[in-house]
Amino acid sequence: MNLKISALEYVEEVKNGNLSAEDFVSETIDRIKNVDEKLHAFLQVNSKAIEQASQIDKKIKSGDKVGSCFGMPISIKDNICIKHSKTTCASKMLEKFVAPYDATVISRLKEQDAVFVGKANMDEFAMGLTTEFSAYGPSRNPWNTDYVPGGSSGGSAVSVSAFECVASLGSDTGGSVRNPASFCSTVGYKPTYGLISRFGLISYANSIEQIGPVTRTVKDTAFLLNIISGLDSHDNTTIDNTGQDYLADIDSGIEGKKIGIIQEMAGEGTDPEVRSATNDAVSKLEGLGATCEDASIDMVKYSVAAYYTITATEAGSNLARYDNLRYGYDFPVEGFEFNSYISKARTKFGPEVIRRMILGGFVPSAGHAGKYFLKALKVKSKLTKEIHEAFKKYDYLVAPTVPVLPFKIGEKIDDPIALFLVDFNTVMSNLTGIPSISVPFTISKGLPIGIQLMANNNEDKSLLRSARALESTVKLPEVPI
Amino acid sequence: MVTEEEIERVAKLMKIDVHDHKEYVEKVHEMIDYFDILDSAGVSDEEIKMKSLPLSSFREDKHIPFEEKLIDNLKNYKGTYVRAPKMV
Repeated sequence: MNLKISALEYVEEVKNGNLSAEDFVSETIDRIKNVDEKLHAFLQVNSKAIEQASQIDKKIKSGDKVGSCFGMPISIKDNICIKHSKTTCASKMLEKFVAPYDATVISRLKEQDAVFVGKANMDEFAMGLTTEFSAYGPSRNPWNTDYVPGGSSGGSAVSVSAFECVASLGSDTGGSVRNPASFCSTVGYKPTYGLISRFGLISYANSIEQIGPVTRTVKDTAFLLNIISGLDSHDNTTIDNTGQDYLADIDSGIEGKKIGIIQEMAGEGTDPEVRSATNDAVSKLEGLGATCEDASIDMVKYSVAAYYTITATEAGSNLARYDNLRYGYDFPVEGFEFNSYISKARTKFGPEVIRRMILGGFVPSAGHAGKYFLKALKVKSKLTKEIHEAFKKYDYLVAPTVPVLPFKIGEKIDDPIALFLVDFNTVMSNLTGIPSISVPFTISKGLPIGIQLMANNNEDKSLLRSARALESTVKLPEVPI
Repeated sequence: MVTEEEIERVAKLMKIDVHDHKEYVEKVHEMIDYFDILDSAGVSDEEIKMKSLPLSSFREDKHIPFEEKLIDNLKNYKGTYVRAPKMV
């Protein structure tokens, strides 16, 4: 059986009776058994997945109404709640936490008869960009298992890239969907802030994070967006997109569009291979009839510092609930004084989470807020203005998704500043709320490079059109695993 | 200039035990030093923009019964009370 098909191809095959959901999911679970010991994309595999797929086949056979996913096997990042299933955030702190409710994205996918094959590995509490900070061990890049797959939604991208599922959901706070998508040669989407409900996503930095699809094709991303996007009464930051069909007209091209090449994101510090790929991508976009020219967004230089200041502050607040009284693990209270109990309980957090909590306490604290947190918010405001100015001139912006090639596991883990800079090209979209997509573009030295396209707020449909156009110009080799 | 003592004090306030000085305090120090780049952003006159939401966008403030007894998920509780360690 061919597992190497897109989500839309899967739907067609099942709909036409050429494929049974049970057979496909069963084969997918076998694939996970065969390759995941090496890749570690999954923290848990759903033992009922095959049975659930079989129920969907029964519905199809009996002529009952079937949801648009037709039993499609999807992986879910382990910070998104699935009712009665473990949701650990790849943390020892939540090792035994069983979610009592479904996230809105999960309810919507269930209504459309998706099958969740498992929970995907990630950096602990989504803090990281290599998946090395998972408390359960790193995921590995299927293109070369000595290399990181990116993060924090590393398990999601690995599972899609290595055919362990058809599509996945991750979350993107500063590039956590796009970065692993680029490193693993999949599509990764960060929607306009508010397009997808965050209800049931375990909070890291609420003001900028979004759930986003990881898929094999741009059309698959549009397909998933049609299901999971839109207003949700449980999340009042959601926006009304009624009537949007992200698949409609997706092939209509970008002729006559104007594209700005962000100079600050392709200059010093960019790997020459990545720069060369970006130049090729620009040539291809021009070949499709778009006009490309250099664009400058000055505040980009300060965006990583602003991003880490803001996210640490929000994380410091969000993670305060892990005191082992409200959320936590089995650890008796006897013999402890209140503060020492919480300090002791928090030793279950991994080092990166602890560092960001300390940062999150420090940067907004009395005496330091003016220098760090408030200045970061001002950078965010100015960056947003610059972006809105840029979109008066351009339809899209383009840059490499990540300025460097995937690197070896362990190579940067002890250097926080080197890791900060890997996020350099992705955080801008989170700080300003704009939609961004990473499109697989080329393979260099056996490692993938993705190209990032960005559009103005609420221009998701148009952005997907541009991504589809770029995607149509490339033919990539198959993952060697 | 931020001192490591200041970082340790904040960690204590956050109820975090920094038993490994190099792993936590030194690395956090390095991160905070990087944030000094914000000083050259020239944003002192910039206004902080906040997004406002109309009250109408909030759902009705009413109790929605949950099908499960959530307190059963806690390890330390008695009746309807969460059991915490002594504060004094």
